[in-house]
Amino acid sequence: MRLLLDFIRPTSGRAELFGLDARIHSVDIRQRVGYLPGELETYTNLTGREMLTYFASLRGRIDWNYAEVLAERLELDLSRSIKTLSKGNKQKIGLVQAFMHKPELLLLDEPTSGLDPLMQQEFYIMVREAKAEGRTVFLSSHVLTEVERIADRIGIIREGKLILEEAVTTIKDKALRQLEMHFASSVPAETFNGLPGVRNLRIENNIVYCSIEGSVDALIKAAAQFEVINITSHEPDLEEIFLAYYS
Amino acid sequence: MILTILFYPSVSDSPEFDDLLHNMPEALAKLFIGEVSDITSPEGYLNSQLFVLLMPLLFLFFSISHGSGAIAGEEESGTLDLLMSYPLKRSRVLMEKFAAMVVIILAFGFVFWFSIAVSAVIIGMDIILWRIAEATLSGVFLGLVFGTLSLTLGCSGNNRGLSIGVTSALGVAAYFLNALAPVVNVLEPLQKLSLFYYYIEADPLSNGLDLAHVVVLLGLTGILLAVALLTFDRRDLVA
Repeated sequence: MRLLLDFIRPTSGRAELFGLDARIHSVDIRQRVGYLPGELETYTNLTGREMLTYFASLRGRIDWNYAEVLAERLELDLSRSIKTLSKGNKQKIGLVQAFMHKPELLLLDEPTSGLDPLMQQEFYIMVREAKAEGRTVFLSSHVLTEVERIADRIGIIREGKLILEEAVTTIKDKALRQLEMHFASSVPAETFNGLPGVRNLRIENNIVYCSIEGSVDALIKAAAQFEVINITSHEPDLEEIFLAYYS
Repeated sequence: MILTILFYPSVSDSPEFDDLLHNMPEALAKLFIGEVSDITSPEGYLNSQLFVLLMPLLFLFFSISHGSGAIAGEEESGTLDLLMSYPLKRSRVLMEKFAAMVVIILAFGFVFWFSIAVSAVIIGMDIILWRIAEATLSGVFLGLVFGTLSLTLGCSGNNRGLSIGVTSALGVAAYFLNALAPVVNVLEPLQKLSLFYYYIEADPLSNGLDLAHVVVLLGLTGILLAVALLTFDRRDLVA
């Protein structure tokens, strides 16, 4: 994110946003972006309103009413001096300044840090609204349940390299899911052995345990020869997928 | 400062103060009260009490605290990240920070001049108020160079402490170099390297500002600012 905003320069290669070079057209890019730093620092000698009007003036014309609306939605008291605010309330100032000019792209680094659960919900709604208006939200987070909840596409970076970049649904389809099938009588192992996508097959009495990657079609059709009592499947969460990528 | 001036009538009525000055070892006198031949005349008194030592040091530390805070201060406190995510060129941020520093040093200079002028009028001191303004302005220019130096050092990396330390040390060294050069033979050829030379040597309180000396101070400010622009524009910002 800091490279996209031209805070740091690439040692090699280049970055583009909106088809513009991040280095040469940095000012144009920043005009269209709202940014929330991972470790937000505020001007503690100002009130929330003073700081936000100062930042609004740096953008030129913006609809100040919208900033007030956002502050109200996040239950942020703009008249208080920033040094008296809690971490969560300071974070709200950061969120308001990132959202207040309705940018085409929001770059949010750990946006919910310090927010209480209710305000996190409000933030998720703000993200959904931005998305519904056709704007893009690019966020980094280590709270995977949050990513799972609001992201359409995710990327995983390991040791500075992007090792995965895909739609959440695609990743989940590809990921291994645990499957448990209960049969009325015992079933022969060879029926399921070697079926496409089936891994870690284990049969105990009348129960078949396995992991499956991709489509379950072949497995279900094979199982249909027998009397099936119950099938349970555990949806993998992002955390398992993430850990799988790191192990 | 105002008190200093209100004490002037008692000094001017006592010629013994001049004897005291003349009986002091020359080096000591030059070090603490500068090139003054008397301390009972208005110019001699103000120079010895304010313009030689106290006032330039005040300007120095005031300017350095602002210059170092402009970029390095914001970077160190972490607010620079947010500021730079707004559609502003780095050069514009730097120029506006510099302009703000100029304005605040000028305002400081005005308050300084105004309080001396008012006190001088109150005690009926026989001095041209415009000359006090010129002497103060010389201090403003001196402050500007050191303030810009601390700004420039602050632009090269996010170390406000280093910027304050180095600039203050250079400021104090420059003061002593200029003060001691006339009496210490080895230092004599180096006197013109001290910025204090350009600040006080022409005695702006008695003679008005010396154009060449002003050009040196402002020229150096310009060069330092150009260096700041180049370094700040090229480097990575520290998170």
